[in-house]
Amino acid sequence: MSFVPGQPVTAVVQRIEIQKLRQGNNLILGFSIGGGIDQDPGQNPFSEDKTDKGIYVTRITPGGPADVAGLMMGDKIMQVNGWDMTMVTHDKARKRLTKKNEDVVRLLVTRKSLEEAVKHSMGTYHKQ
Amino acid sequence: MFCRNQTARATVARGSALEMEIRRGKFRKSVFLDTSQDSDIQKKIDHEIRMRDGACKLLAACSQRDQALEAAKSLQTCSTRIMAYMSELQRMKEAQVMQKVTRRSSDAGPMDDRLPCKGKVAISDLRIPLMWKDTEYFKNKGELHRCAVFCLLQLGGEIFDTDMVIVDRTLTDICFDNTIVFSEAGPGFELRVELYSCCSEDDYSAGSTPRKLASKLSSSLGRSAGKKLRAAMEPGPCSPVSNGGAAPLLLPVPSVPGPKYHLLAHTTLSLSHVQDSFRTHDLTISGNEECSYWLPLYGSMCCRLAAQPHCMTQQMMSGCLKVKQCGGDPQSWTKVYAVLKGTSLFCYHRQEDVEANIEPAFTIGINKDTRIRASEKDPHSKVQNICISNQYGGEEVTHTLTTDSREDTHRWMEAFWQHFYDMSQWKQCCDDLMKIELPSPRKPAPVTPKQGSLYHEMVIESSDDLSSTVSDILARRMQELELRSQLGTSPTWMSVFEENNAKSAGRTRHCTSRLSGHSPCTPHRLPRSPASPHRCPQLGLLSSDASLTSDSDSHCSTSPCSQHHGWPEPSSSFSLLSSSPSRLRPRTLSLDAKLSTLRGRGYGGGGAFQCPCQPPPSSLLAPLPISSRSPRSQRSTQTTLSCSSSTSSNSSSNSEGSHSPESSEGVPFSRPSPARRSLRNLRARLDPRNWLQSQV
Repeated sequence: MSFVPGQPVTAVVQRIEIQKLRQGNNLILGFSIGGGIDQDPGQNPFSEDKTDKGIYVTRITPGGPADVAGLMMGDKIMQVNGWDMTMVTHDKARKRLTKKNEDVVRLLVTRKSLEEAVKHSMGTYHKQ
Repeated sequence: MFCRNQTARATVARGSALEMEIRRGKFRKSVFLDTSQDSDIQKKIDHEIRMRDGACKLLAACSQRDQALEAAKSLQTCSTRIMAYMSELQRMKEAQVMQKVTRRSSDAGPMDDRLPCKGKVAISDLRIPLMWKDTEYFKNKGELHRCAVFCLLQLGGEIFDTDMVIVDRTLTDICFDNTIVFSEAGPGFELRVELYSCCSEDDYSAGSTPRKLASKLSSSLGRSAGKKLRAAMEPGPCSPVSNGGAAPLLLPVPSVPGPKYHLLAHTTLSLSHVQDSFRTHDLTISGNEECSYWLPLYGSMCCRLAAQPHCMTQQMMSGCLKVKQCGGDPQSWTKVYAVLKGTSLFCYHRQEDVEANIEPAFTIGINKDTRIRASEKDPHSKVQNICISNQYGGEEVTHTLTTDSREDTHRWMEAFWQHFYDMSQWKQCCDDLMKIELPSPRKPAPVTPKQGSLYHEMVIESSDDLSSTVSDILARRMQELELRSQLGTSPTWMSVFEENNAKSAGRTRHCTSRLSGHSPCTPHRLPRSPASPHRCPQLGLLSSDASLTSDSDSHCSTSPCSQHHGWPEPSSSFSLLSSSPSRLRPRTLSLDAKLSTLRGRGYGGGGAFQCPCQPPPSSLLAPLPISSRSPRSQRSTQTTLSCSSSTSSNSSSNSEGSHSPESSEGVPFSRPSPARRSLRNLRARLDPRNWLQSQV
């Protein structure tokens, strides 16, 4: 998940669609995020590259909408409803996820295990 | 707004006889109106005129800028609607006249022209990017030039406006969140999008000082005086037509002092722009930099334009048929109730299945690749059959339909032809049904005065729902403990719990006000402790008190008594805590969310806002996780309690506190196993003080 500034980022992503849960006056997704271009990337326990200022999932409420949708702790969020999340401030990321008029958020997330899965499947193919 | 080649718009020339007569009121419009359609339009016109008068009055009367802008917007919308209705009326009258003429002159034969079906067209997520000079945007110098903008969308006779948005140079795009749905649109529709803007300064005196002179004056007069003067002398509208570039008016628009909207940009969308995703369209910009209502538009507009023709959403034809698949037994006719809708012919066993939403027996695809023809007369029956052929993969599959009578066959063929015609007219809209989300009625967001700081924009949610959650948890705890106590196991700590409880309960009765001081944390702590029903019924009281007063005193003052009572509170709670060492505590979703919200509040990590009552809650929270670690000996926890009030232990305990709720996934309060230590490390690193996290 390391990137070279100025070069396009390629990643194996998974699409995750989360239906927001209504709780009184709030719509909650059931996870926490960390990171952002205004945060210290060295403190991110999930990132491989300690200069990665992306948005990461730090906590999933068990049984919550995000958990049901398949989001996992440690995922890096690349897009939310089409909006890029690789180069946003923390608050911008939070706002993009918590828009009151949206009932569903479609995320593109990436995680190490996805890349490994692709490599593994490609590896078995080559063996054949 | 006035396009000559737009047939939908007719104009009554200014000063023409018709206009004068209408103005004088000599002719009541009903003289011209024969049909009910006309009276409908007349009613709409009257309604809009009333609305316009109301808007004018409101504009004249209101003093606040926001109200004035909104009123001016409704005025503009009403004027546009009136003009559209008038032109519609004119057109209908012309059509009537033409009809009379043709009837007189020749026999009007049956109309062979097929009309395509109508449909719904929806436009949503309008976004217009702006192109500020980078010096303006980043350096943020000079006074903030603000404009109020809104979009007017017109299709056929329907005109809708979006909400008004205030734009200044801190915005990169103008976004309109509304979804506008037009119900009756033909495939040849033209959706006209117009962007109106109005300068939003303090003084609305309509001077027309040229901008250069104004800027000279403002710079020579000194900064603040010049600013005011410049606002007062805002250059008037730059386009030659001063009433917003509108077509010639039929009825005099009352000139009201106040903000006036001017057309900034426009574009027209049609069927070729319809797509199920976002697309960018070009805007035609009117006005230039000298105008007061100018905004640096990038020149394009993004939106999602979707269309649902009725042939895709409604049943076009339905009836009983007999179907036979080609290549099958020639005598195996299946009787079905068929419904033609969208891209398929649904065949149900019985008519009742349609309403009951039962799956159809089978479905025959009807799309642009389907071929339908009437076959030769079947020797057995006198009725023609209809053959429908589709290509599935490489194979061609043919279904043969037959009806009971010749008229039915003819009707079905007619329906198929009409369906094919509709699909050819609506083109890409008939490939798949596009989703149109109807705007849900929701309460308008409360307008908060802009205070400039991000923190001011945060709304501190009331913990009303927390009280219900907490009492639910408590009720469950009570039940669980009741069961346990019935089993006979009564841990030794219960006695401590009891005596402490009496103390704390007594105290808490009096000190509800002080309790409110801890409100963000008390509900946090309480659910973690199981409660036995007989022994602490007061806990229920505790929670309700806490929740009732939580709102009022969420910004608690650190009164000395709160500190003082920091002691007995934790002692009771910890003892309650220690009662659950060996039991799995199931956690609820809402509780989790609330806990982390509260934690976030307490540490200032959630939503990035600082809770002013941070010191006391954290000091009270501190003993919690520590006691969760080692519940065995009360003494140790007591000693930790003793130093909890001091700030030195706060820092260390805070970091632990941030992850204690999570570590209780499995075994809540036992000594952490080595496997969990890595998790603990993770939790330590997730300390919001080092790395901001937000709950969403």
